[in-house]
Amino acid sequence: MKAIPTKAKNPTRRAFSERMVEYGHLDQDFVVFEADIGYSTFSYLFGDEFPDRYFNMGIAEGNMVSAAAGMAADGRTVIASSYGVFITMRALESVRTYVCYPNLNIKFLSSHGGITAAIDGVTHQATEDIANMTTLPNMKVFVPADTVAARKLFDAAVTTPGPVFVRLMRDPLFDIYEEGDDFVPGGSRVVREGKDITIVTYGDILFQALEAADMLVEEGIEAEVIDMYSVKPFDRETLLASLAKTGALLVAENHQKRNGLGYELSNFCLKQKPVAFDNLGLDDTFAESGAYYKLLEKYGISKHWIVKTAHLLIGKK
Amino acid sequence: MAREDISSMKERIAYLEEKAREVRFHIIDMIYVAQSGHPGGSLSAADIMTALYFDFLRVDPRNPRWPERDRMILSKGHTCPVLYACLAMRGYFPMETLHTLRKFESILQGHPIIKTPGVDMTTGSLGHGLSVGLGMALEGKLRRKDYRVYVMLGDGEINEGHVWEAAMAASKFKTDNLTVFVDRNRLQMDGCCDDVMPMGNIDGKFSAFGWETFHIDGHDMEAIVTAVEAARKVTGTPAVVIADTIKGKGISYMEDRFEWHGKCPSEDQYACALQEIRGER
Repeated sequence: MKAIPTKAKNPTRRAFSERMVEYGHLDQDFVVFEADIGYSTFSYLFGDEFPDRYFNMGIAEGNMVSAAAGMAADGRTVIASSYGVFITMRALESVRTYVCYPNLNIKFLSSHGGITAAIDGVTHQATEDIANMTTLPNMKVFVPADTVAARKLFDAAVTTPGPVFVRLMRDPLFDIYEEGDDFVPGGSRVVREGKDITIVTYGDILFQALEAADMLVEEGIEAEVIDMYSVKPFDRETLLASLAKTGALLVAENHQKRNGLGYELSNFCLKQKPVAFDNLGLDDTFAESGAYYKLLEKYGISKHWIVKTAHLLIGKK
Repeated sequence: MAREDISSMKERIAYLEEKAREVRFHIIDMIYVAQSGHPGGSLSAADIMTALYFDFLRVDPRNPRWPERDRMILSKGHTCPVLYACLAMRGYFPMETLHTLRKFESILQGHPIIKTPGVDMTTGSLGHGLSVGLGMALEGKLRRKDYRVYVMLGDGEINEGHVWEAAMAASKFKTDNLTVFVDRNRLQMDGCCDDVMPMGNIDGKFSAFGWETFHIDGHDMEAIVTAVEAARKVTGTPAVVIADTIKGKGISYMEDRFEWHGKCPSEDQYACALQEIRGER
């Protein structure tokens, strides 16, 4: 991890697509499907480099995903690119029945995750994508928290058999990781060690959690922060080891509370390791247009909410 | 007559007509044993499916995933009895497997799945098969393979907007290795297509999307064979064969009756159907 995180130049959607181009030279076989937002997902970079391996299906995400399934039916890897709201809702049946059920090698480049599509408003904010994707058998779900992770998780996605959903962000995040840091399916990273409470998060909220941990230190609380970048399958061992130390779990995510990682981990803890628990996310509500940080505050996902909730949880231990 | 002995068009047609009769027998028989299934649309598609599996498709039943094989997507997946009959008769799996249709742990699921030998893609939720076929056609082009992709659509199924998304894209990508059939039996689950959702001029719709269109009687074996041969010669665009058919074709009491979309015959009806298929009534 870097000593002092700084704001990245590029969003994770761009880092992922840039790695896709590099990887395209190493692996001549995979192809990319796009649904007319290539200049936004940055998949156009691949199209410029490999025009024969780039298929723009127009504004028709359902057809894009089912056609990708046809192309992948005999084993080829296909990257299908669009926004989270379209992949996980408009094309959901294609993803479920034609990708996950036959267990095909289709990797979803899914941009505009969570409310980071902030100013675009609710129509473009994928705030139920993790719920929809983690529910599907055979699907794996990765969420990079910075550009280093985005590049590494591209490699993990294309080398992991079967369908993989990668949630990417519209706006640049903070650089947190170093080049040598590893990201593997089913893995996680303990970004900060602590003994009083475990904060589990993924994606853009990792930075909020780290800032919150700094604020908690000033109050004498040592928070352990885990980046659960592999949301499905998630890293049970690391979580259990952390909870054995801290006895309290706070999950914060840029997603609906319902059926997000928080629900998943609370279910896990009830069965395996009951601890003081709470989760932050959209509380059965839609968000709205507005500046990202203002939305995080209003909808209860910011560092301030993490600090406040951590205090309450520690009191319950 | 064995397939190898065919020397004339007349013999070819006679051979296929006999095979179609066998296919119809197995459709009714497996649905009766399962006590569940979709006879109407299976029977309307039976002649075209027979022509594909017993004449046109370049496949190897001993090597179902042979990379050079022609692909066949039964987009109207609920009519899988017709597909399963063809696959069993071609030797993909034993004939007795047909009696496991829809049963616990059978390879013959209620709708086709890619794991079943000879099934190229899972289908069943309507409207996706043309997209899948398009993807396979693009794969063939990219790998420079000369295999062809066939897709069977229902005329109710083309209510789905998804079909027309695929029709647009197939035209854009000039997938002339793709041949599509519309089984125009004019009935869908809730009644007549024209009442439920009139599709109007289907030929004109595909034509407007840039497709080469053919229109035939889908129970005239010679017309089917001729149309498939013509469709395979089309270059630069995909081709569609709109086939006028009769739902339930071959079983008098089922013909043109929408209630036979997804109904199993009674014991008496089963006996009667077999007699009709054998030409005894």
